[in-house]
Amino acid sequence: MLQVENLQVRYGAITALRDISLKVEEGELVALIGVNGAGKTTTISAIAGIVKAVNGSINFRGHSLIGKSPEVILRMGIAVVPERRHIFPSLTVEENLRLGAFSRHNRSEYRSDLDETFTLFPILKERFRQIGGTLSGGEQQQLAIARSLMAHPQLLMLDEPSLGLAPTLVDQIFTLIITLRSRGTTILLVEQNVERTLEIADRLYLLNTGRVEMEGSPEQLKSHAAIKDVYLGEGKAGGNQL
Amino acid sequence: MKRARLIAWLSRYSTIVILAVPILLVAAFTELIAGTLLIRLVTAMFVSMIIVLGMQVFMGNSGILAWAHVGFMGIGAYVAALCSMTPHIKEIAIPQVYPFLLNLQLPFWLSLLVGSAIAALVAAVISYPLMRLSDAAAAITSFALLIIIHAVLVHWDRVTNGPRTLFGIEEYTTLWISVSGAILMLILAYFFKESSLGLRLRASREDYHAASAMGINITQVRYLSFVVSAAIAGFGGGLFAHYITSFTPDAFYLIETFNVLAMLVVGGPLGISGAVIGTILVTVAREGVRAVENTINLNHLLPFEVIGLTEVFLATVLILSLILRPQGIMGSRELRWKPKQSSGEANELDAQPASE
Amino acid sequence: MIVFEFIINAISVGSLYALIALGLVIIYGILKMVNFAYGELIMVGGYLLYLVGANTNIPWLIAAVIAVVGAMVVSYLTELVAFRKVREKSLTALLITTFAVSTLLQNSALIIISPRAKAVALPQIFSTTITIFNITTSMRNILTIVVSIAMLVGLTFLFRNTILGIALRAAADDFQMTRMLGVPANLVISSAFVLSGAIAGVVSLFWIGRTASVTPTIGLGPLLIAFVATVIGGMRSLVGAVVGGFVYGLIFSFIGVLLPQVLLDYREAFMFLIVILILLLRPEGLVRVKYAQERVG
Repeated sequence: MLQVENLQVRYGAITALRDISLKVEEGELVALIGVNGAGKTTTISAIAGIVKAVNGSINFRGHSLIGKSPEVILRMGIAVVPERRHIFPSLTVEENLRLGAFSRHNRSEYRSDLDETFTLFPILKERFRQIGGTLSGGEQQQLAIARSLMAHPQLLMLDEPSLGLAPTLVDQIFTLIITLRSRGTTILLVEQNVERTLEIADRLYLLNTGRVEMEGSPEQLKSHAAIKDVYLGEGKAGGNQL
Repeated sequence: MKRARLIAWLSRYSTIVILAVPILLVAAFTELIAGTLLIRLVTAMFVSMIIVLGMQVFMGNSGILAWAHVGFMGIGAYVAALCSMTPHIKEIAIPQVYPFLLNLQLPFWLSLLVGSAIAALVAAVISYPLMRLSDAAAAITSFALLIIIHAVLVHWDRVTNGPRTLFGIEEYTTLWISVSGAILMLILAYFFKESSLGLRLRASREDYHAASAMGINITQVRYLSFVVSAAIAGFGGGLFAHYITSFTPDAFYLIETFNVLAMLVVGGPLGISGAVIGTILVTVAREGVRAVENTINLNHLLPFEVIGLTEVFLATVLILSLILRPQGIMGSRELRWKPKQSSGEANELDAQPASE
Repeated sequence: MIVFEFIINAISVGSLYALIALGLVIIYGILKMVNFAYGELIMVGGYLLYLVGANTNIPWLIAAVIAVVGAMVVSYLTELVAFRKVREKSLTALLITTFAVSTLLQNSALIIISPRAKAVALPQIFSTTITIFNITTSMRNILTIVVSIAMLVGLTFLFRNTILGIALRAAADDFQMTRMLGVPANLVISSAFVLSGAIAGVVSLFWIGRTASVTPTIGLGPLLIAFVATVIGGMRSLVGAVVGGFVYGLIFSFIGVLLPQVLLDYREAFMFLIVILILLLRPEGLVRVKYAQERVG
């Protein structure tokens, strides 16, 4: 479905991505893990058209995404929930969701999409008329994901959805990701919470200093010594962050 | 080692010579062959150059738009004029002038310095808190400052003769005086840019957060450069007053601001070479179009009078320049003598302080 | 009764100022760009009113429509031809571009029309007065209030209830994210410029209505008003701009009555002093946003 090859990205003089190749198949949940600055967010940003690639190719269902603007890429079926959520703080929950459906024109579909959103995110029904900026962090995260789903993406990219949330909310978000996956949404997930990610992902890429250091199933990565040391501690529960 | 360092130093400061020599040649050439009209034009060009250099000191190094700059030029112009005028003329030119100002009369050079000092003083008193602001807020406050200075100039009858023309100023600013002033300010602006203060200011322009994390007090370095910039503008204003000999407060308002901005931006605000080259190019282009405009009007080539063609042309050039070369002709480069690198050592030394 | 007449006058000034401020903030909110060429859109409206009035027998109302549409078109074109190309560069470059466009438009008017003031024919209704409950006021004041309020109501509807309006507000919150939801950047920006032009066009009708003449520099006054009003109200929000415009209009009217002549001369200087003070002490203006803004960096 999505195929990234030899991707290279620079911010001014700094090379953020040296050489990234990865692929995501239909219906998969693929995760990118790695320390801060490894290039996870940059990879997602490059796919979403927010940063420009210096080199390499990005193909989605046989179409190249290189040089395409974020709005075009969304219309091609890739939605991104960026790091730190980026909901519109001065808009109501309703308006946030309506904007999520901007690329779709069918009004009756919008109604049924809303109903579906409310079953997945009951809290948003309660907060429907509230200003986005007044929501709690967890609610904002749900709103951000719900908003992206309104566009009916074929591929959903989630950047650090559990960042800064209380442990119970983290559980909630991971449950939600599992639900989305079981409904057939293809997901590319960036997470720092490696332990939890290993539980739910089909495949993972370990990024380091702008390169793919390792690729494989959760079992393959778990057995890797570096992952054990750096991310999982010595079998210590909850030792998931760097 | 010693020699390499010397060469690096020479290379670094060669910019001043490379810019000053052609300026002197132009002046000498003008003096020798040109008529009065051209001499006046060239004199005016070098006065403009001083204003542009003054603006470069703040805007170029800090990256913040400086709308009020021309206001400080106005302060310098009025103060210098008041200082140099004889009591007799002052009585006629400014009927309501304060008595203590009436009898004040200073030599020309001292008047220039007082004008420059007062402009710097005004800047020093009012600008410190403004230097905290960046981007749009900075642009609006400095624009507000220009409006305030203009309003004061227009309404302070007892000093400026109000919105009416102030006349009777001696024409002290000759070609050679304006050329000397321009070269002096060029050296000042260049040394300012290369000084540690200038370096810190440029660092804050490139990356505000990194610069403040390095311990640079950005408000303070901006403030100091703003005061220096106002002093240069005030000095240029004094020269302008004694070149043009009569003016109104409108001479120091939006039209002049546009002129100065055009010169600086077309040439490249980041460097001294850009300021100098921009002034010369824009002056030549503007006078060329103005000549066309005058020819059309004098010979009635068109059924109506053409007014504003020069500004339309300049505005178009400025917009095109911002689209095609937003950093101006020179970008962040300076004209510089670069010796053939014989050893890697010299190369390294050269690259270190010089390149930006 | 004098008091009521004064109040109506102040409300008329306030509602016009609110409209003026709103036209500037629509652009600022999205691009963080202060459009120095905003006043020239009002000038364009004024000259179209003059040209149509002086050269044809078209009724004033249609001339007014032409003026408004003209201002919209010019606003759109300034974005398309100049600002779009500089947008991605630096903010300073963008601000200088707006100033250059302002100079360009002003001097084009000098060349094409005349440096001298041109008289603009106004409909009868502008010069009549009306007396209700013993209060006499000019129809122009009433018209200004009615049309300004109608515009504000219409714009509120647009911003609250249409998807384009919501997208415009979203873009002011977070432009990049708006694009990531599939909203084309150019659509949002062009719409903002067209709206800003429409407001400037309507403003021009009443601004010209006060003096019945138009000059190339007529735009400076409204531009300065917009600056002061938006800073008073807060540059981040549309509501802030409207509130700021009203407040400024009221202050301006009261100052005119209360201050002695000597200080009145410095009215503009005072207003801009207030602008500087507000930007220093309370940069968010009178209208605070109801949620904590995340500061970048």
